[in-house]
Amino acid sequence: MSKGRQLELEWSEHQGRNCLRVRGWTKTEIRELGGLAAAEFSQRLVVLPSELLESGVELGTVPAIAGRFEADEDSVCFLPRFPFLDGMGYSLLVGAATEDKGVNSREVWNLQRPTLEFAPATDVVAIYPSGNQIPVNQLKLYVHFSNPMSEGCVARAVQVRRADNNELLQGVFLTMEPELWDLKRRRLTLLLDPGRIKRGLVPNAEEGYPLIEGVPVIVTIATDFRDAAGRPLRASVERRYEIGPLVRAKVNPADWRCDSPAAGTTGQLTVEFNRPHDHALLQHSLWIYDAAGLALAGRGSVGSAERSWRFWPELPWAGGQHQVVIDPNLEDLAGNSLLRVFDRDIMKLEDAPNNVQQFALDFSCAPSPKPAHLGQKLSS
Amino acid sequence: MTERNVATAVSKYGLEVGKPGIKSVGPLAFGPEGILFVGDNAGAAIFAIDVGDADVGNDHREIKIENLATPLAAYLGCSRDDVLIRDMAVHPSSQNVYLAVMRSSGEAAIPVLIKVGADGNISDVSLEGVPFSQTLIEDAASEDDPRLVSRDQLRTVTVTDMCYVDGLLLVAGTSNEEFSSTLRRIPFPFTGKTLTNSLEIFHVSHGRYETAAPIRTFVPFANNTSLLASYTCTPVVQFSLSNLQAGTHVMGKTVAELGAHNRPLDIVSYVSGGEEYLLISNANHPLTKISCKELDQQGPLTEPDRSLDERRDGPLSPTVGPPRQELPHPGVRRLANLNGSHVLMLQEEEAGEIHLRSYDVATL
Repeated sequence: MSKGRQLELEWSEHQGRNCLRVRGWTKTEIRELGGLAAAEFSQRLVVLPSELLESGVELGTVPAIAGRFEADEDSVCFLPRFPFLDGMGYSLLVGAATEDKGVNSREVWNLQRPTLEFAPATDVVAIYPSGNQIPVNQLKLYVHFSNPMSEGCVARAVQVRRADNNELLQGVFLTMEPELWDLKRRRLTLLLDPGRIKRGLVPNAEEGYPLIEGVPVIVTIATDFRDAAGRPLRASVERRYEIGPLVRAKVNPADWRCDSPAAGTTGQLTVEFNRPHDHALLQHSLWIYDAAGLALAGRGSVGSAERSWRFWPELPWAGGQHQVVIDPNLEDLAGNSLLRVFDRDIMKLEDAPNNVQQFALDFSCAPSPKPAHLGQKLSS
Repeated sequence: MTERNVATAVSKYGLEVGKPGIKSVGPLAFGPEGILFVGDNAGAAIFAIDVGDADVGNDHREIKIENLATPLAAYLGCSRDDVLIRDMAVHPSSQNVYLAVMRSSGEAAIPVLIKVGADGNISDVSLEGVPFSQTLIEDAASEDDPRLVSRDQLRTVTVTDMCYVDGLLLVAGTSNEEFSSTLRRIPFPFTGKTLTNSLEIFHVSHGRYETAAPIRTFVPFANNTSLLASYTCTPVVQFSLSNLQAGTHVMGKTVAELGAHNRPLDIVSYVSGGEEYLLISNANHPLTKISCKELDQQGPLTEPDRSLDERRDGPLSPTVGPPRQELPHPGVRRLANLNGSHVLMLQEEEAGEIHLRSYDVATL
């Protein structure tokens, strides 16, 4: 160790990776360091997060930051295996070749990584269901963000309060670890605690449903979320829902209405549901097929409050029979699908599961606008 | 790793030497000959990596690392809060402990596989120039599916647990869309073909309500003939592995329910005094011990059970199911069988204070 000389630490780049460059060594030191094998460096130089040193951790009990040192003519460079983190402080500990390795024999030099400050730039762009009322056994909420997000914020950033007295409702959502995101981390799926929704389970018996029929709630998405760059949201978002009765029946396309368009036009086909369905599943659960069983080219769209689905063909409708083919896994807001009731009462015959692969609604395009023929076809 | 070992891994298991493009590390499970399966939820993939660990294990080895986040933060050059331990697995022969760690989150997140050696020494598994193969967790509609209203690939399956049994990697996952119970069975070496089972169960208590739910965590036991699975909504269910035919619905036997405000976190099996036991760790309930013998004798909980109605005034302690014992080990997040004589626990006693401790099975 050389008394009195000042080391200069700076952030630098080495072969495209960030590194910590240290100058100010005496000629003797740089000659010594330049002659060290890679493993010997760790006897002389150690880099650690400054906050660990400040917390009083015993040096002998923790490893140094993974990485390697390289010495050149007048400096030593530390190349971490994992990049330095912005906003963190790092400390270089310099031990003398002839002294013990105890902390007292080391010089400590500190350098802070700059903190990159960005103004918040991310918004909640949608919350589904988009309608005003959800059933008391609502199963899922979807929150869409304008940018990719960081994980781990749900517990502190999502709240549900009673709209009448502002009381916070506890234990509404199932804690998921890991959280349920799409691959781009822009859509979050929140599951309302299924143990509290399913009849016969202890959580349902102890706590009842997460929501209360007739008591409107306010769902708040707070700015405490962090986007992938670590920024909070630009603004918190609130959504009010009225809480309606239980929905506990299979999704039944026979209860839907189909306004079919006139042949020879490119008018839209509208399928109106008897109740709202799951927004995410509606993105890929319905399509139109012609009489030969071929998928029509066109564009689908989910209607207001997820109560309908619309289709615009690329080419004018041909006359005659068509089908809306429905994925049997399509769910309503309470998780009931075409196949089964979410929690099936095995004593109720009408709730027996369907065992069919494909559901379809027939409709025909007439030469002039008139109500569509509607029928349900189930094929095994 | 020696060249011979690499050649074995490459030829026998179809691995290729290269850089696995892992975007995140999640559930871990060891397969044959020390091949580590790594669930990558951000990349919708599962990787098989030959970690090349030739250390020799010791049946009586113990581990105790208090405040594990501190040495990990030092090694990774980050704050302790930026050390996010996702899972833990023990190498079957070396008994080195492997941790799936995400360093930081968001854009700054880096997936790391940490190895904790017999002496507590911390290192990481190089993710460059390693023998590996991968399979995709298929669920998203294909991009040319004409039904897609939006071209965005929003549909995913989040893997919550994995286990390797007799040439099959069993994978439990939760869809971010429909609420289903699907246990994937992926043959290894990866051939691209995934067999799936839809698992169907009766839930406990009133014996009237049939329902399916995603499996959260599971463990094979009784020489891999049975599977004990715990669900997101707390029931614990036993399946016979021989019944798991691809594509069929399987009726499981609900054997226990762990109560409200609780999530099952991990399950491990171990043998003590010649008897096999299962430990279930929970988010909000104590560590639970169940005897496999008593589990076998337990009939399915499908009969009407009025106990819930009768006890409405008092606390509804979840006593349905086989006898079970609550153990005093607090905050157990992950479990692993270390070496037959010890069970390894990742314990979070206070928020952020994570300890890695082994316990002699005779003391459990």
